[in-house]
Amino acid sequence: MNKRILIVDDSFYMRTMLKNMLTDAGYDVVGEAANGQQALEMAVATTPDLITLDVILPDNTGLDVLKGIRAQQPDAKVVMCSAVGQETIVNEAIENGALAYIVKPFSEERVLEIVGGALDGDGPRA
Amino acid sequence: MKSRDQEYREMFMAEALEYYDAMSRHLSELERNPQDTPALNELFRLMHNLKANARAMGFVDMGEVAHKMETLFGQIRGQERTFTGSLVPLTFGAVDMLGNMIRAVGAGQETGDAHVLLDNLERLIQGQEPEQAAPGQTTEEADADASRKLELSDLVYIPVKKLDNLLNLVGELVIDRDRILTLAAELGNAALQTTAQHLFRISDDLQYSVMDVRLVGAGVLLNKFPRVVRDVAAAENKQVELTLAGQDVQIDRNVLQLITDALLHVVRNGVSHGLEDAATRVAAGKPAVGQLRISALTERDDVLIQVQDDGRGINTEAVRQKAVRKGVVTAEAAAALDEQGVWMLLFEPGFSMAEKITDISGRGVGLDVVKLAIDSLGGQLRVNSELGKGTTFTLVLPTSIAVKGALLVELDTRAYAVPLLHTDTVLSLTNDEVFAVGGLLMTRVQEENVPLVSLRHLLYSEGNEPLPRATRADLPAGDGRQQVLVVGYNNRRLGLVVDRFLRQQNIVVKPLSKPLDTIDLFGGVTLLGSGQLCLVLDVPALTRLFLAKRP
Amino acid sequence: MPDTSAAASASRRAAPEAVVQLIVFCLGDEDYGIRIEQVKEVTVTPEVVRMPKTPPFIKGIANLRGDIIAIVDLEERFQLRPAGRPVPEFSYTLAVEAADYTLGLMVREVPRPVTLPVSLIEAAPEFVQDSGQREKYLEGIAKLPDNEGVIIVLDMAKLLTPSEIMRLPGRVEPAAAAPEAPTPPEKP
Repeated sequence: MNKRILIVDDSFYMRTMLKNMLTDAGYDVVGEAANGQQALEMAVATTPDLITLDVILPDNTGLDVLKGIRAQQPDAKVVMCSAVGQETIVNEAIENGALAYIVKPFSEERVLEIVGGALDGDGPRA
Repeated sequence: MKSRDQEYREMFMAEALEYYDAMSRHLSELERNPQDTPALNELFRLMHNLKANARAMGFVDMGEVAHKMETLFGQIRGQERTFTGSLVPLTFGAVDMLGNMIRAVGAGQETGDAHVLLDNLERLIQGQEPEQAAPGQTTEEADADASRKLELSDLVYIPVKKLDNLLNLVGELVIDRDRILTLAAELGNAALQTTAQHLFRISDDLQYSVMDVRLVGAGVLLNKFPRVVRDVAAAENKQVELTLAGQDVQIDRNVLQLITDALLHVVRNGVSHGLEDAATRVAAGKPAVGQLRISALTERDDVLIQVQDDGRGINTEAVRQKAVRKGVVTAEAAAALDEQGVWMLLFEPGFSMAEKITDISGRGVGLDVVKLAIDSLGGQLRVNSELGKGTTFTLVLPTSIAVKGALLVELDTRAYAVPLLHTDTVLSLTNDEVFAVGGLLMTRVQEENVPLVSLRHLLYSEGNEPLPRATRADLPAGDGRQQVLVVGYNNRRLGLVVDRFLRQQNIVVKPLSKPLDTIDLFGGVTLLGSGQLCLVLDVPALTRLFLAKRP
Repeated sequence: MPDTSAAASASRRAAPEAVVQLIVFCLGDEDYGIRIEQVKEVTVTPEVVRMPKTPPFIKGIANLRGDIIAIVDLEERFQLRPAGRPVPEFSYTLAVEAADYTLGLMVREVPRPVTLPVSLIEAAPEFVQDSGQREKYLEGIAKLPDNEGVIIVLDMAKLLTPSEIMRLPGRVEPAAAAPEAPTPPEKP
């Protein structure tokens, strides 16, 4: 069975691009969330194998969402997504259990490499 | 078919224009109240998003301006600086610049030179003052600012209600069009007929375009099920793996809305009654984890939503016996039913397969609500099952509920429409072909006895008393024939005696409004080409009425 | 100056009394009124299609500019038609607006607008309250000056709930027979 991924990003454009890349590569995108509230609900509802999480979100920061998800599901695999400029938050996210960090704008190879690596469970990478 | 790049570009534009509007708004809020934290957070987020998206699209300058603005707002948020002084006009100028860049991208033009602005933003970030003298605003630019056009996004959000209204109007247009076609044919004017034909094509296109707008991906509904399945499985102590497919299949949003509860029932039923618990499965040589698959697919003009489990399958004999025990059918009728017929009993009111009332799928609510919901849409329900292997429920739904095929029949000079979905066959019977059994007139249709009932009696008899017992003496005198429309519902056929058959035509069904919407014999009303109102008969309700009133 | 006095007299006329505009029509031999804001339009009754399984005072349904509305005969509803007087062949319909639907009231003569001071409308006296069906739906009775009779003012909001409209004088008949009323779907 395909690995199931939840995308969290407040930009429709970003979500769509990420979704296309992942779907083309044979992953099942089981959900798309546009804010922290949705992200927490959908993480519970879809129990994805992996979550890609934007660091800046409208209602919570990505960091709060990360903590929320990890509190509910300590084994959840989360990969942070961010454009450059918010490295502080990203570092904090890694300290809080995020597995990796995808830099926007991202290339397809890079996304697949990081997602694949995170799902294989070979630890944090960036 | 649009290329993916083009789609990305449109998405980017729609979102960027939205961001730009929001930036302008929040910037004004911040100017009024420099302590406005929500506005500040939003500005920060919007700049961050615009930066990321612009860079992904390869718009370097736009990304750079947004990046520097994000940094500035980050500094304000971090209380390293305040939203005062030269920073205020410069940020306004920068947002204007972003707006111009977005518009230029939309128009396929170069985004213009941003280096002065970028230099000044960088100075601010470094804690220096922007260069005042450097090409400050010329009068020309100020004028251009003042007369700036307001840009609106190319994508709009439309409330479904407005679309419904639009579709209703188109429905009426189509009716008037048919009337004009009739008139043109009657008048025999060639020019008028040509124009009417043209009108026909255009309104047809219009109708499909409007219907198209209401289509959404089936995923809108399907994606809600992982949570449902998880909860039911947890409550029933079962292990279930859910697969979804066909989320992209297009279907009318209103159809989805109407079947939400029905689908919920079928899915819950699948988990609680279809799938076995892990121990039972393992004992039967199956994997411990049960498979449930919800998929949408297109079949001609219909959309099928299937709920498939690899559970125990339907025990046909158990269902047959239970239906008799519950009084849903007589023992004789039950014995005569084939497998399919027995399975459909699951959807009869009063039949609920589980002997044990569970928390999730019990509560005395049976699958009959599923049948009712599907019927209201003019859809169909199919069941397929193999003992020990699993069960598939298929909801056959119209892609759109706007237009229905119907047969028009006449009774007392009035036309009534019967949806084709429930019409079986039409007969013109001589008295020899009719016989009386137990107060009912019957005829043979394909080796089956079908009761005949006068539509007039069914519609106009008052009160709840049974219909009078019919005998052959009620048959028309001489060699008159009876016009009979055989309708079918739930494997039950009924012959409606009418005055005559008019024609078959596509109708746009309008729902009855209050206070008449409680009369369930009518699925709605339609306007004929003549402008005449025509009631649309609801065959399931008519069948139920007949069963309740038969002598 | 003449202008001033004209203006003054105009303001004298307009100032003191709140007025109400009614659409007045005949039921039986009495005048009834509805506040004009509750009336959507007045039209010659369009073709009415009889609807089976409805009480007799529901004349049927009609197509009013694309709206399919129920047409009600209030004379029959309130049992006001003198014995032997037939249902008129030609009639007018007042389209009145309820909260979420429109209803047609069939009347035999052209309704007329009447403007009168609110103070003329009095709460219905006891004897009318006792006299039958209408009482529940009355706002009051307006006595016209100079002995020009009375207008019975109906409160449409009370009359226009679907259950009131469908109610038969005397007894309550269930809507079309539905022997096995389906259980409402449970909410998730």
